[in-house]
Amino acid sequence: MLIETRKLTHTYMPGTPFQVEALKDVSLKIRRGEFIGIIGETGSGKSTLVQHFNGLLKPSAGEILFKGRNIWGAEFNLRKLRSHVALLFQFPEQQLFEETVWKDVVFGPRNLGLSGEELDKRARYGLELVGLDYEAYRERSPFNLSGGEKRRVALAGVLAMKPEVIILDEPTAGMDPVGRRNLMQQIEKMHKEENLTVILVTHNMEDVSYLAEKIYIFSHGKMVLQGAPAEVFKSATALEEIGLNLPPLTDLLLKLKEKKQEMRTDLFSVEEAACEILYHFKKG
Amino acid sequence: MRSITLGHYLPGDSLLHRMDPRIKLLSLFILIAALFLIKTFLGFAIFCVFVLIVFFNAGLPWRYFLRGLKPIFYIVFFTITLHFLFTKGGRVYWHWGPLTVEEAGIYMGSFMTIRLVLLVITTLLITLTTSPIAFADGIEFLLRPFRRLGVPGHEIAMMMTIALRFIPTLMEEGVKIRNAQMARGADFETGNVFLRARSLVPLLVPLFISAFRRADELALAMEARCYRGGENRTKMRQLEATPLDYWGLVAVAGFTLALVCCGA
Ligand SMILES: Nc1ncnc2c1ncn2[C@@H]1O[C@H](COP(=O)(O)OP(=O)(O)OP(=O)(O)O)[C@@H](O)[C@H]1O
Ligand SMILES: [Mg+2]
Repeated sequence: MLIETRKLTHTYMPGTPFQVEALKDVSLKIRRGEFIGIIGETGSGKSTLVQHFNGLLKPSAGEILFKGRNIWGAEFNLRKLRSHVALLFQFPEQQLFEETVWKDVVFGPRNLGLSGEELDKRARYGLELVGLDYEAYRERSPFNLSGGEKRRVALAGVLAMKPEVIILDEPTAGMDPVGRRNLMQQIEKMHKEENLTVILVTHNMEDVSYLAEKIYIFSHGKMVLQGAPAEVFKSATALEEIGLNLPPLTDLLLKLKEKKQEMRTDLFSVEEAACEILYHFKKG
Repeated sequence: MRSITLGHYLPGDSLLHRMDPRIKLLSLFILIAALFLIKTFLGFAIFCVFVLIVFFNAGLPWRYFLRGLKPIFYIVFFTITLHFLFTKGGRVYWHWGPLTVEEAGIYMGSFMTIRLVLLVITTLLITLTTSPIAFADGIEFLLRPFRRLGVPGHEIAMMMTIALRFIPTLMEEGVKIRNAQMARGADFETGNVFLRARSLVPLLVPLFISAFRRADELALAMEARCYRGGENRTKMRQLEATPLDYWGLVAVAGFTLALVCCGA
C-alpha cells in the first residue's frame, strides 16, 4: 500500500469560535500506479485531505502511512516524503517566482540537491511532459505567459522532481475547454507512460469518470461513497443527495436505459458510448 | 497564525460587544489616561479588579488574556531587568561586582511592569470585543472634529478598514504559497540567517505580486462603483448610542476620577 489513512480527522483552529471540523474519520488506501479521483462539493474537505498526503497538514486525530510507515513518526523525514509525493495546489500559477521558466522549473530539483546538467535534464523532462517546448520557453519570464501556460510551467516544476505520486488539486479550474482537454490528456499520458500514481481532485465529473480507476466522494468532511466509476455512478439519487451531478455521458446513458432496458451505462468514453447507443437503436 | 489575523476580534453578544464603538474608544482613552495618572500599587489593584470584572463579564476566555500578553513578554522582561539593575536608591538587596539591585529599582520595575500589563489588557478588552469595521467607524467619528485641522478622518478609517480586511486574506495566501513551495522541497526552517532570508524569496515574490494585483482590482472595483470618500457620504450602518452606552461612559469616567482624585 502506497498511501493509507486511518480514521484521519482534521480540525482547523481548534478551541476557538472559528473551529471547523474539515475531515472526519477518513480511512482510505491508495495503491501504487492507481489513478484516484476525489470529488465533493465546495468545502467538503478535499484540499484538506490531500495536504495530509505529503505532510503539509498534521492530522488532529488518526494517522497517515506512506509505504506502511507513519509519516508523523519520530524517524520519518517529511522533506523526503515531499519529493516523492508532489502536490500541485489549486491555482498553482501563483507559486511562480523566478525570472525565467527554466529557473522556476528547477527550483524543486535544486531543493533535492541536484545541480549542473542534471538540472537541465529535469527541466527538459518536466516541460516536455506538460507539452511545452523546452528551447522556446526556457528563457521566458513566467509572468508574461498566458494563464494556461503558467499552469503548465507550475506543473512542470512539480514533475521535474520525478515524484512517485502526483496530487493535482483542481488542475483545470478556470481553463477553457481546449486547454482543459489538453492538460487532462497530458496527465493521462504521464500516468500511463511513467506509471505515476495520480490523485486528481476535481469538480469535473467527466474527467474523473473517464480517467480514474477509483473514486472517492466527499461530503461535509466525510467520505460518503467510494469505488470504481461504474459503481459510483450507478445511480443518480445517491449523488444528488450530496449535491453532485452525474457525468453528462452517464446521465444520457441512464436516461436512454429507461427506453432500452439492456443499455449498458458503465461506459465513460464518448466513442464507446456512441457505439453502444448506435448498436441499440439500430437494432430497433 | 490565523488567530492573530482576525485583528483579535472574538464575536459575541455580551454587553461589551454590543456597546457603541465610539463609547468604547472614549472609555479606552480615559482608562489609558488613568493608568498614567495612578501613582500607587493600591490604585493598580483597584483598576485591575475593575478590568477583570469587565473581562469575564464579556465572556472572554482566559486563554485570550494570556495570548494577548505574549507579544509584550520581551518588553516586560527588559523593563524589569533594566530597572532592577540600573535604578538606584534605597536599600541594597543584592550585589555582585558593580551590579546592585536596590529598593528603588525593584519598586520602579514592578510599577512599570504592572502599568504595561494593564495597558495591554485594557486595550485587549476593546479589540477583542469590537469588530474591525465598528472600530474603524468609531475612529472616523472621533476624528471628525479634527477635520478642520486637515485630518482626513474618513480616509484614515477607510485605509484601516481595507488593511484589516486584507490582512487575513494575505496571511491565508502566505500560508498557501509557503505550503506550495514546501511541496517543492523549499526549506524555511533550517540554515543560518542569510540562508533563511534567501529562502523567503520564493514566498515573498508571489505574495507581493498577488497583493499588488488585489490592490489593483480593489481600486478598479471601487472606481466602478463611483466611490468618493469624505464630504456628503452617508453610511449604511449608523452608529447610535443608547442610554446604556452613555451610562457606561459615565461609569468609566466616574470610576477613573474617583481613583485618581483619591490619590491612589
Ligand atoms: N486554513 C484554514 N483555516 C480554517 N478553516 C479552513 C482552512 N482551510 C479550509 N478550511 C475550512 O475547512 C473546510 C474544508 O475546506 P477545503 O479547502 O478542504 O475544501 P475543498 O473540498 O477543497 O473545497 P473547494 O472545492 O472549494 O476547493 C471548509 O469549511 C473551509 O472553510
Ligand atoms: Mg479545494
